[in-house]
Amino acid sequence: METVGFLLDGIFTSLQWFNLALLIFGCLIGLFVGAMPGLGSVNGVAILIPITFIIPPTAAIIFLAAVYYGAMYGGAISSVMLGIPGASTAVATVFDGRPLAVKGEAMTALTAAAVGSFVGGTVSVILFTLFAPPLAEVALRFNAPETFALMVMAFATFVGLGGDDVPKTIFSILIGLALSTIGLDLITGKPRLIFFNIPGFLHGINFLVLAIGIYGIGEMLWTLEETKGKVQMSKLSVNMKEVGRAFGALKKTIMAMNIGSFLGFFVGILPAAGATPASLMSYGITKQLSKNSKEFGDGVPAGVVAPECANNSASTGSMLPMLTLGIPGSPTTAILLGGMILWGLTPGPLLFTQEPEFVWGLIGSLYIANFFTLVLNIALIPAFLMVLRIPFAILAPVIFVLCVTGGYAPTQSLHDVWLMLLFGFAGYILRKLDYPVAPAVLSIVLGPLAEKALRQSLILSDGSMGIFFDVSEKPIAAVIMYIAIVLLIMPAFGPLYRRFFKKKQTA
Amino acid sequence: MSIIKKLALVVVSLSLVAVSSVSSAKPFSPKKPVELIIPAGQGGGADEIARLVQGVIEKNDYASKPVIPINKSGGSGGEAMTYVKKKAGDEHTLIITLNNVLTTPVNQPELGIDFFNDFTPLARLITDTFLVWIATEGKNTAGVETFDDFIDLAKGNGLVMGGTGSMSEDELLLGMMRGQFGFDAKYVPYSGGGAVAKGLVGGESDFTLNNPSEQMGFYQSGDSKALVMMTPERNPAFPEVPSSYELGYPDLEYYMMRAFMAPAGIDAEVEKYYTGLLHTVYHDDEFQTFNIDDGKLMSWLEGFGLKDFLAIEYAKHGEIIKNFN
Repeated sequence: METVGFLLDGIFTSLQWFNLALLIFGCLIGLFVGAMPGLGSVNGVAILIPITFIIPPTAAIIFLAAVYYGAMYGGAISSVMLGIPGASTAVATVFDGRPLAVKGEAMTALTAAAVGSFVGGTVSVILFTLFAPPLAEVALRFNAPETFALMVMAFATFVGLGGDDVPKTIFSILIGLALSTIGLDLITGKPRLIFFNIPGFLHGINFLVLAIGIYGIGEMLWTLEETKGKVQMSKLSVNMKEVGRAFGALKKTIMAMNIGSFLGFFVGILPAAGATPASLMSYGITKQLSKNSKEFGDGVPAGVVAPECANNSASTGSMLPMLTLGIPGSPTTAILLGGMILWGLTPGPLLFTQEPEFVWGLIGSLYIANFFTLVLNIALIPAFLMVLRIPFAILAPVIFVLCVTGGYAPTQSLHDVWLMLLFGFAGYILRKLDYPVAPAVLSIVLGPLAEKALRQSLILSDGSMGIFFDVSEKPIAAVIMYIAIVLLIMPAFGPLYRRFFKKKQTA
Repeated sequence: MSIIKKLALVVVSLSLVAVSSVSSAKPFSPKKPVELIIPAGQGGGADEIARLVQGVIEKNDYASKPVIPINKSGGSGGEAMTYVKKKAGDEHTLIITLNNVLTTPVNQPELGIDFFNDFTPLARLITDTFLVWIATEGKNTAGVETFDDFIDLAKGNGLVMGGTGSMSEDELLLGMMRGQFGFDAKYVPYSGGGAVAKGLVGGESDFTLNNPSEQMGFYQSGDSKALVMMTPERNPAFPEVPSSYELGYPDLEYYMMRAFMAPAGIDAEVEKYYTGLLHTVYHDDEFQTFNIDDGKLMSWLEGFGLKDFLAIEYAKHGEIIKNFN
């Protein structure tokens, strides 16, 4: 019961007027940086770190965590309203959020995003409160073979992503994997696939550049063709009936909320993964397990809830290895970690006992931050919806500018802007040819993580794949691997099996 | 207009020109934000110091314009070095060094980086040391109390070493130790010192050669212990850890330099300004306390001393790489 006392202290700490003001201010900044393509939570937190030197550490972490949190919500706004992923963590939100908006159900999409984020955020903070120390132990035991098994499981769920056209999906996955190998070889340090010796390829293909290109530019070209520059939605009513309908649609998303919250949290606590893989994996698994998985991608609320739930859940989760092991679970927590060191705190196993006020103040603030971002978001939905009333001929150049800044910002190089435009055009063509592009985006995120884990494991096992299947030596890895194989076989052979089965019936 | 008046005008305008030329010779100060390039990823040792420097400058208003750290981690620093090389003459770009600035030009000749002519070294602020770490409850290193115990064990068994990436400082160090003590280890690369430390405590690797700050949390909690520090003397942050000199291995000495450089072709005035700025940061109380508590060595070096140091280190690393391959 000691925990409850600490937690209450933490909540009261974050309700002190100064901390609360910082928290709300942080949420608003987060919403903004999350919604602006190219300005993700990473940039937001990095830019604001110097400000935090003048306030006490507890207030500083509350402020930055609120920015981090707000950004998880904010990313969904531009994903839904413009079809540009506002942040890497919101890429999976585009998959169904954008089609919903195009269908005239932007209200439902934004409500699903806000509520999903709230549920994911709250579940994960509760998990954090109750199980932080044992979960830190799990994270410590989750090494290379386990990570690779998890990645195989993620890839297995992607095969089902592109619908029944398995060959086209696999093609898309392979394109993504090939692109992800560009840059520095993870093990030998040698440059790989540096086309024409352009130094810009040395840092590899940034996944946001691909995602903004394919979704932002590709979507813009597509919509321009469809709307001929006119207003997308002429009739948009925002009244209580609509709000009620939006909330009603959420009843069917309970499963997505569960998957998003728990899977997101678990992926979040694994070092080096973070909220982006978590949201993509949740989307894939929710789709795979859903009864109406065929409708995913055409705009179902569950397709918005799953990734939004997961990215908030994972962002809480990734604080766990940061605080207890001193290892950032995501790029943003890497910067928070730097901040903590500068504030004179040593992250690590002793932080919980040495700095209880700091740790519990942070955890307490997450509960409060969740509540405030939900309220802010629901209240601002009518304002966001105004975007759809703008004629597309005016909106398209704005989207273009946002895409260019979004492509430039992560590495500050023009090289990436050209790449982004190239991907945008390619994305448009692929869409015309009815190729699924989501699997390519997913595999460029997970490809490097999987490659690294695979090669680390094989070094450890002297090249034997047995390391992934040995139930007595590496039980976690083996179990995940077997689940992955089942998941892989289901969509690939499902149609075949059905066909075979049907023939038998008719015969 | 009379001649006198004309003359007076000439005099006045001449003196105006003189005054304005004097004002243009005023000491340099940045006219826009200064890019501080970090040739490594976020959350690592160089990143930590770059952000500390940024914070100290910002907090105390040491510079007229902000410093913006930018990570360019591609190609073992190759991306960052290529970028700075292209910025020759640019007065608003700096780069913080890891030792990869000494190894990457040699390992990746195709980048065409000339270490001695493509950069203007400004100052070295800190040197970071390395220690040999094992997990307190490591299953393969049970019973190891001293560095000599460790060498005996490592000679017989293929131990697993966690490191920060191919041809990075710690793999070169492993190469040095291989030649010196006759043992080899299986090298598993991770992404950054933090992950290396976790791999050790999580039981995936048997030992690491981490910097002090990277293993600090697990050291303080008692989850990992150090066997030797690769310096002539003990470090106050790790009072019970013997130095390599004490143990009779003076050849086991290695440092990571944290220096700053500007692109080639900048004016002496600009060079002077940034060296002065770094000097102010170096003597800042907060900067000093932070680094000393973190087990780093404060080691200011500038001018010819720095140039000599870099030349020696460059040659030394060339030698290590040659022996490694």
